[in-house]
Amino acid sequence: MLDFNALISTTMTDTLTLNEQVLKQINSQIANQLNTGVLVLDADFNIVIWNRFLQVHTDKIAKNTLGQSIFSAFPELPERWLSRKFSSVFQLNTPSFCSWEQRHHLFELPHTRPITTDSEFMAQNCTFLPIETDCKSKYICILIEDVTDVCHYQTKLQKTLAELAQISRIDGLTQIYNRRHWQESLEQEYAKARRHDKKLSLIMLDLDYFKLLNDNYGHQCGDMVLIEVSALISSLLRVEDIFGRYGGEEFAIILPETALSGAIELAQRICNKIATKVLIYKDQAIKVTVSLGVAQLSVEESNYEELITLSDNALYQAKALGRNQVCSADCSKSLLID
Amino acid sequence: MSEFHLTEDQQDCLQELINVAMGQASDQLARYLDTFVYLKVPSIESVDAKDLMNTLSQQKNTMAVVSQGFFGYEGIRGEALLVYQEEDSGRIADLLGYEPDELSQDEQLIDISSILTTTFLNVFARQIDNQMSYNAPKLLPSAKENLSEHLQQMPFSWDLALKVNINYQVTDYSFNCNMILLIPETAITNIKHVLDRILAEF
Amino acid sequence: MSPSVLICDDSNMARKQVLRSLPEQWKTSVQTATNGAEALTILRDNSIDVLFLDLTMPGIDGIGVLQGIQKLKLKCSVFVISADIQPEMQSKVKALGAKEFLRKPVKPEVLTNHLQQHGLL
Repeated sequence: MLDFNALISTTMTDTLTLNEQVLKQINSQIANQLNTGVLVLDADFNIVIWNRFLQVHTDKIAKNTLGQSIFSAFPELPERWLSRKFSSVFQLNTPSFCSWEQRHHLFELPHTRPITTDSEFMAQNCTFLPIETDCKSKYICILIEDVTDVCHYQTKLQKTLAELAQISRIDGLTQIYNRRHWQESLEQEYAKARRHDKKLSLIMLDLDYFKLLNDNYGHQCGDMVLIEVSALISSLLRVEDIFGRYGGEEFAIILPETALSGAIELAQRICNKIATKVLIYKDQAIKVTVSLGVAQLSVEESNYEELITLSDNALYQAKALGRNQVCSADCSKSLLID
Repeated sequence: MSEFHLTEDQQDCLQELINVAMGQASDQLARYLDTFVYLKVPSIESVDAKDLMNTLSQQKNTMAVVSQGFFGYEGIRGEALLVYQEEDSGRIADLLGYEPDELSQDEQLIDISSILTTTFLNVFARQIDNQMSYNAPKLLPSAKENLSEHLQQMPFSWDLALKVNINYQVTDYSFNCNMILLIPETAITNIKHVLDRILAEF
Repeated sequence: MSPSVLICDDSNMARKQVLRSLPEQWKTSVQTATNGAEALTILRDNSIDVLFLDLTMPGIDGIGVLQGIQKLKLKCSVFVISADIQPEMQSKVKALGAKEFLRKPVKPEVLTNHLQQHGLL
């Protein structure tokens, strides 16, 4: 305090010095109360200034840190890459940035939301600013912003959106694709097959006497059968096949890059597996069968709906011929000719 | 014709400022990258909002778009978009002198974009006695659909955009990208004032 | 006596910039060209002492003009004034006979300095 008064009472020429002094105090207090890490490096990457934020969050002692290379003070930093980034700031005299979206953090600092976040360290947005002083010496100012909250909520939002997108594609009962998503997929696969001149086949299948099953054993039993049959069929498919619930007890499978013979083979396997599978409902053995219609995309169809109609017709054929069997669009055509 | 269109003199003046900025920027870049950067005259077009959407949606394999806001004195501000095609992204790490495993592809794109944008705009600003600050660059997620969405959601309405086609060829391989500077209406008026001031000096 | 001067640049502003930077007594006998072809025609048909030449121009560029000058065995002093200032480009134009390479935007004092160095002032 005494010093302060002494300064005031000095001559006029010192007024400027006083103002500078006050300014310096204000600046340094702002820097120390900022909720942002401030770090200044010289041209050799040695730390020349750091603010309270960093001192508090790093638990390092100023006298051990100031004057030290940033890479020895913070050994967690990716030295090669970051030095190259620093040199771009020095050489090009342009700012550089590092966002949590690409790199969660640079400095291993603890954050203030320990319970709700899944990362041990504070998520950071870092800015590297070129600083040039009167005496032509160059420095880099590093600003470290705590964006743990942003990162946390953004990650949560992304996860929720992904979950929602998934839910909107899935049939609640059978956990396979619902009709809407299945149909969208068919539209895409149809376009792809046309564009690249690739084969594409379709299987439509229907549980036989499903209404009777519901009447005899109740709807819970019917649901169980739908779930079990879906799971069984799923286990027989390749990853690229797209399996969906088309209607109540009707299912459909898109088979990309598959010819009719392959599709018939798969349909036959599904038919046999289901026919020989014994399902248990309330200690009762239940046997179900399916009828399947198969079709392959040919030059004739002008849209994907026509492919559905073809396999649907084949499915009716299989039903008409006594169920528990496979019919293809080919044989239904030949049957019609006969 | 929009009132934001530049006169022939203004266009000439701006082209010259951009040429000089690009020349100095590529000299700096060549030194930094320690390689010869072959520079073609950047072609500058002013395009209005509708044309830009059309041009961009015609580009088939747009792979990535990085956006970075800039703002200087005298109300000169805007947003720089760097548009990359699929084949341009392969060796950016190499170009920047990074090891490929040190950073992700996204980060490489962001780094090179930031360097191109800020180096160029810094020199440009210096010529008109201005100084630029920059926002952190952002990679727009899945370029294709999001570019038009992004343009619609800009924090300012813009009628005129400056499309600067930059073509950087680096000694042993070619690297191309388009830089598009989106300038809001008010900033265009401000730029025109600056151009007129420069022209008046002659 | 003031030398005959040709300024070749596709940009109107850049031409004016060079013109403005010339020594006062030179400003009376200046011709301009907006591209390389135009410049070569003027160079061939007139006796030009000093050429201020831009490099990047549509059609015949600055490099093309330098090559043309060599081919026509013209004796004019060429000062390249360019935005493309990389060292490789500088040595290339010097190898093609340019007296000096000046970076854009050209400043009067810099220009005067170089003219003096080459004994033109």
